[in-house]
Amino acid sequence: MKNNGRFMVGLVGVAAVVTYLIWTGVSETMVYYVTPVELMEKVEADPTFHDVGVKVGGRVVPGSYARVEGELLHVFTVHDLVDESATFRVEYRDALPDTFTDEVEVVLEGRLREDGVFEATTLLTKCGSRYEAAPEDLAGAGAEHPSGY
Amino acid sequence: MTILGEFALWISLPVAAWGMILGYAGGRTQRGDLVLSAERSIYAVFGLLLLASAGVSAAFLGDRFEYWYVASYSNANLELFYKVTGLWAGQRGSLLFWALLLGFFASITVFTNRQKNREFMPYVAGVLQSILLFFIVVLLFADVNPFERLDFTPADGQGLNPQLQNYWMTIHPPTLYLGFTSFTIPFAFAIAALLNGRLDARWIQLTRRWILTSWFFLSVGIVFGMRWAYEELGWGGYWFWDPVENASLLPWLTATAFLHSIQIQENRGMLKVWNMSLVLMTFLLTIFATFLTRSGLIESVHSFAQELKIAYIFLSFMGGVLATCVILIVYRLPQLRSENQIESFLSRESAFLFNNLLLLGAAFSVMWGTMFPLISEGVTGQEISVGPPFFEKVNLPIGIVLLALVGIGPVIAWRRATKRNLQRNFATPVIVGLVTAAGLWIGGARHELALVTWSVSAFVLTIIFTEFWKGTRARARIEGEGYALAFFHLVSRNRRRWGGYIVHVGFVMMCIAFAGAAYNTDNRFNVQPGDVVEVTSPFGHTYQLTYEGLSVSIGRGQRNLLWQAIATVSVAQNGDPKGILTTEKRQYTNRNTQPMTEVGIRSILREDLYLILSALNDTNGALNNQPGAQGIDLQVLIKPLVNWIWIGCFMLAIGTVIALWPSVDRRRLPGGEKTSEREAALAGAD
Repeated sequence: MKNNGRFMVGLVGVAAVVTYLIWTGVSETMVYYVTPVELMEKVEADPTFHDVGVKVGGRVVPGSYARVEGELLHVFTVHDLVDESATFRVEYRDALPDTFTDEVEVVLEGRLREDGVFEATTLLTKCGSRYEAAPEDLAGAGAEHPSGY
Repeated sequence: MTILGEFALWISLPVAAWGMILGYAGGRTQRGDLVLSAERSIYAVFGLLLLASAGVSAAFLGDRFEYWYVASYSNANLELFYKVTGLWAGQRGSLLFWALLLGFFASITVFTNRQKNREFMPYVAGVLQSILLFFIVVLLFADVNPFERLDFTPADGQGLNPQLQNYWMTIHPPTLYLGFTSFTIPFAFAIAALLNGRLDARWIQLTRRWILTSWFFLSVGIVFGMRWAYEELGWGGYWFWDPVENASLLPWLTATAFLHSIQIQENRGMLKVWNMSLVLMTFLLTIFATFLTRSGLIESVHSFAQELKIAYIFLSFMGGVLATCVILIVYRLPQLRSENQIESFLSRESAFLFNNLLLLGAAFSVMWGTMFPLISEGVTGQEISVGPPFFEKVNLPIGIVLLALVGIGPVIAWRRATKRNLQRNFATPVIVGLVTAAGLWIGGARHELALVTWSVSAFVLTIIFTEFWKGTRARARIEGEGYALAFFHLVSRNRRRWGGYIVHVGFVMMCIAFAGAAYNTDNRFNVQPGDVVEVTSPFGHTYQLTYEGLSVSIGRGQRNLLWQAIATVSVAQNGDPKGILTTEKRQYTNRNTQPMTEVGIRSILREDLYLILSALNDTNGALNNQPGAQGIDLQVLIKPLVNWIWIGCFMLAIGTVIALWPSVDRRRLPGGEKTSEREAALAGAD
């Protein structure tokens, strides 16, 4: 039984280490997932929120996309999915995913700068990973959206 | 044909229900006629599901766009290959395909056991039919019927998402599903053991091959998915820690734990409750993964609302299975008592237990991280997510300890390791590990986790090769055989053991490759034709890349291609020409998607050179062949050691097949018990 005791200590030790890793992992890497409206409210209530990394889900405003010449810098505007009047500009310095169009739903990670521009470090488009389309759209099939810029 | 398929699906419902009831009743009453009927009903359900699947395929091949499922995943111009694989392109077909595969495996099980293991079979048939019944009910009643019609017939379908039009993506889901469904067989035997009270290691021995088969398909299926991501998603990664990937990793982790812990039960009669729990957990996770991979549950709360019905059905099924199993295990607890106890901290049992604990810890952390957005939103109302850094922070340390255990486990003694056992087996490998670390440090490697991983890998490989070497040498001496023949005989005499070691070598190779990612380089350039750019590999050599220009072809809708813009880049390594690479943008006609990227990869054992055409400077100009519109954004990645992931996976697959191969081990044949010690030594008995 003595060995069993030592063994139990080992097991509990492993469990404790794993728990510790998960705990610190979560607290160090977690990001708030907010809507543009929530982000505005939070920043208003607490200006230090400018420095907190957040994840924001919204939709790109059609026609707002532009690429800054000579640099790998994309600029566009994102609005809230529900309240379309809540908008902010986004700057993103990286290659855009293939699924990005200027009307797509995006999830951005980054922070809202003091000047009100959202500096995105990662950009995900939302429809891309589910690989599915709504069949109801088929009723109007044939009208291809213009594409490419 | 399609109507017939739909009809077959409906018929399969009462047949499966009938088989389920008869299976349990037959087991309870021991009436042979009931059992026979239950078993035959499995063949019947398999036949009906085959008809139903053929019906779906016929609808794809015949462009029957009045069916929702066909209209959503196909169009008239889609390549034949993708019409054939349309059966598992989306959620609805996948669920039918899942049931079909389970029907297939269930039929094999019933057939191979028609003359034997009769005490298990009634309940096995009952359990298998219950699960088949569940999937049939889902297909028919959870708004996911692949035979659902639209109230109008569209002129053409939506087409298949271009990202799914890739060879790896057509074989990745079925491979995973083969792994998921074949794990149902060991689960059914475990439940049968709980029901009939035969709680020794018999159910494990009977299903060992199924467990390995399932593990084989899970492993290979996951790596196929990585390969697809690497080639098709176009940013050079192979693992993203996204919910769908995590969902397929979870059952792999618990299945791996199970694969190891059953050896303790077989050898020492311990961990019976634990093994029951692991088989249950793995089964539930395969169901969870099936559900999650084809739904949007984690991604967004909105899609959750749309799929409330199927989510509730799946969750209540999982809850029901869990409750039933827990009750059964508690009821049988007195018979599940351990026959032995752990004698020492330093023993193989203990190494295996730590392996299990770490694998479960990893599984728990992956589960936690995946579900965290849902949990935090449920608890605080504020959605908080954790990304890849979380998974890496938790799982890299766990992974490195597991890697070390891969070396320690197989050579440490059962029961109690003596000092001599430890010294003899571990002195040289530890030295090799340390020398490797020193060598890499001198060679300029400074990344701590990568250094540790490579040193531990060297330690493990030394142990495994020493084992192979000792066994081969002993056999060569005693039998007077040449080394090659001796090696071949050694492996074939105890396939399970040596096959397992080969699997371990494959796993180590993959870990070495994963650590290589610490030295990835990423460079971006904006280039005009004729421009030369240089990138330096972490191995020290330099690539000179010349952008030769863009060639544009305008398609007429064949293969759904609207246009293709192909950038050609000549590659030279330290000035030596090494051929050309192409990377392209493709615009497909269907859907309002943006152009897709096809990457160019030059793969050598040391590293991959990975070119991405990030963007065209002026798409319209380039399409109209305007001079001066050929500029592009070119991203150049160097990915050290990536190839060893695929090679390691191949090795792992070979090892599993060797372990699976029917054994001609004479010691296990009846009457062959009194084999000489010499024979045992030759087989490398543990």
